[in-house]
Amino acid sequence: MTDLRDAAIRVLIGNARGLSTVPASRLYPHQWSWDSAFIALGLRHLSPHRAQLELEALLGAQWADGRIPHIVFDPATPADAYFPGPDFWQPHRRHDRVATSGIIQPPVHALAAWETFLADPAHARRRSFLDRLYPRLQAWHRYLLNDRDLGGGGLAATVHPWESGMDNSPAWDAPLARITPVPADAYRRRDLDHAGADQRPTDDDYGRYVRLAADYRDRGYADDAAAFGFAIEDPLTNALLAVAEHAMAAIAKEVDADPQPHLERAAAVTDALTTRLWDPQAGIFLARDLVGSDTIGHHTVAGLAPLAVPGLPVADRLVATLRSDRFGLGRVAMVPSYDLTAAEYSGTRYWRGPSWFNTSWIIWRGLREHSHLRDADRLRDSMLDTVATAGFREYVDPLSGRGLGADDFSWTAALTLDLLAEQSPEGSRC
Amino acid sequence: MLKLSAQEQLLPGDTLQQKWEFAQRAGYHAIELRGRADFALRGRLPELRQALRDGVVMPTVCVEMLHFFGAFDADLRADAIAQMKSQLSVIGELGGLGAMSPASYGMFSRRLPPFEPPRSEAEDRQVLLDGLRQLGEHAAAEGVTFYLEPLNRYEDHMVNRLDQAIDLIREVGLDSVRVGADTYHMNIEEDDPIAALHAAAPYIGHVQVSESNRFQPGTGHIDWPAVLGVLEADGYPHYLALESRLRGEPAEAVASVPAFLRRMSTTGQAGA
Repeated sequence: MTDLRDAAIRVLIGNARGLSTVPASRLYPHQWSWDSAFIALGLRHLSPHRAQLELEALLGAQWADGRIPHIVFDPATPADAYFPGPDFWQPHRRHDRVATSGIIQPPVHALAAWETFLADPAHARRRSFLDRLYPRLQAWHRYLLNDRDLGGGGLAATVHPWESGMDNSPAWDAPLARITPVPADAYRRRDLDHAGADQRPTDDDYGRYVRLAADYRDRGYADDAAAFGFAIEDPLTNALLAVAEHAMAAIAKEVDADPQPHLERAAAVTDALTTRLWDPQAGIFLARDLVGSDTIGHHTVAGLAPLAVPGLPVADRLVATLRSDRFGLGRVAMVPSYDLTAAEYSGTRYWRGPSWFNTSWIIWRGLREHSHLRDADRLRDSMLDTVATAGFREYVDPLSGRGLGADDFSWTAALTLDLLAEQSPEGSRC
Repeated sequence: MLKLSAQEQLLPGDTLQQKWEFAQRAGYHAIELRGRADFALRGRLPELRQALRDGVVMPTVCVEMLHFFGAFDADLRADAIAQMKSQLSVIGELGGLGAMSPASYGMFSRRLPPFEPPRSEAEDRQVLLDGLRQLGEHAAAEGVTFYLEPLNRYEDHMVNRLDQAIDLIREVGLDSVRVGADTYHMNIEEDDPIAALHAAAPYIGHVQVSESNRFQPGTGHIDWPAVLGVLEADGYPHYLALESRLRGEPAEAVASVPAFLRRMSTTGQAGA
């Protein structure tokens, strides 16, 4: 596995751009929010220092309202290298320090900060790493649980498919259908320069993404529940928020703050998840459409992500679903992003079936969290076999393991380092 | 596997054999020689041959002179090239890997008065290309490599970064000329030393280790896990040579380095 570790390091350092790491050098040439958190989780095994900088560079672009923008634009990269770029988002109305987008991504950051701290506590303490990050992470979670509790049920809402991290998930089809697309000739997609159209979202969906983002921008990124055409309570985002609050409790202890409020929030989010999003018949969590006021019946990997939450009361049911024909644990290369038995399933189209490293890694953590160690080890081994064969691809076909999307994808490399470190008898060193 | 060497003047002992005893105990795998002016290394050949017979590993030599192949003065340039050719020949006879030199040292800095050097950039380049060709051809004939070491801006005005050295090496077009990277100079000159090492990987022939403060590794703020990790990931096969000043009791300081670098290495092993 030394070769795999060395190759992963080459990808991560090859994608380094100053203080942070781009997800992929051509397709995604800036800093992305949850990418950087996953990158730090792997980079810490090479360099705790660089992992700290990765998170600091991201948190340095946090807005005054607490939101962590989903893209921090690299000023050295041409403004038109990515669409929508800084000229589209125009974030300076609210925030004038660094060019960013105005939407968010799932909150993996507190977990990444805590695990990065653990990689070298003495170094982190010398740099006051957690002391500096803790208030920013608090503000981030406050934003999610206050400004973004659009449904009033104690969960954070996502207001754009890109915020969910699972851009073209079938779960967003119905809510998105209400949105009028911006015509395809009104902007130029840059994602198709680097990946086949058959693996990317369709033009109509892309036009809807642009419409939602432009509307939010034109309202000054105000989180007014009544104004959103798209608002979802997503189990992945909220599961990661619960996990992150557990991490915040650990961070709080380290910085001499009170961990109790974090544990209480973790419990409250976990409770709200199971109350509002759990479908006991299907054995999976469902996204809730706040505009249409109902849960969305599609079974996606987001609905399995709460497995990573400590103390989740329905963990065993989730594992049964994971092993079922819908997700094929033990028979697939990695966890598919969508129900293998569903009519809309596609093994190649982005978040409509392909397996992703980050969501599979979350499931792997969940299996370990709930002591399904044999399943966890098998999934880890299969993920490592897949990456050894397919390379550090953005996503893979769940059944064949064939690599798809961008090459040399940073979080795939980073999480490979993390899986290898867990495999190594020396622990956190890879 | 991480292979470590220490420059000979850093090791306690009166003879190379005594220094080698100490080096091995401390966890080094080789000694880096120092090549002084007036063909001093060639003059040491009887001593070096005996050391070789006694098992001392001496794969590289680092020049220790006050004029270099990029000198403004044509006579000094010619002498420096003759000296370096001789050092390459000696290291070849010892079965070693190569000899290292900067373009110049202490001759001119654009950061210090009078700021403008007496020779144009284009003329500098011609001088360097000519010297590198001669040294590269000689190195190839001897079966060894010439390492061009970028120095920081206060010590040399011509080659400060790895990419500048690579640009010259590409134009010379000889595999027998490679980059000699030094972590101390890189810490001053490179935007991101780790990314620079990775980008330069195909051209790096030798690496010298020293802290951000020029003392031994472990006393400053260089990100050693990342330096060692990226060198290993890129398959750097040769030695990391300690070239530094020593803080603290000298023998203890030099002996502390292998254990420190082993601890910082991602594999947890500095090699046998």
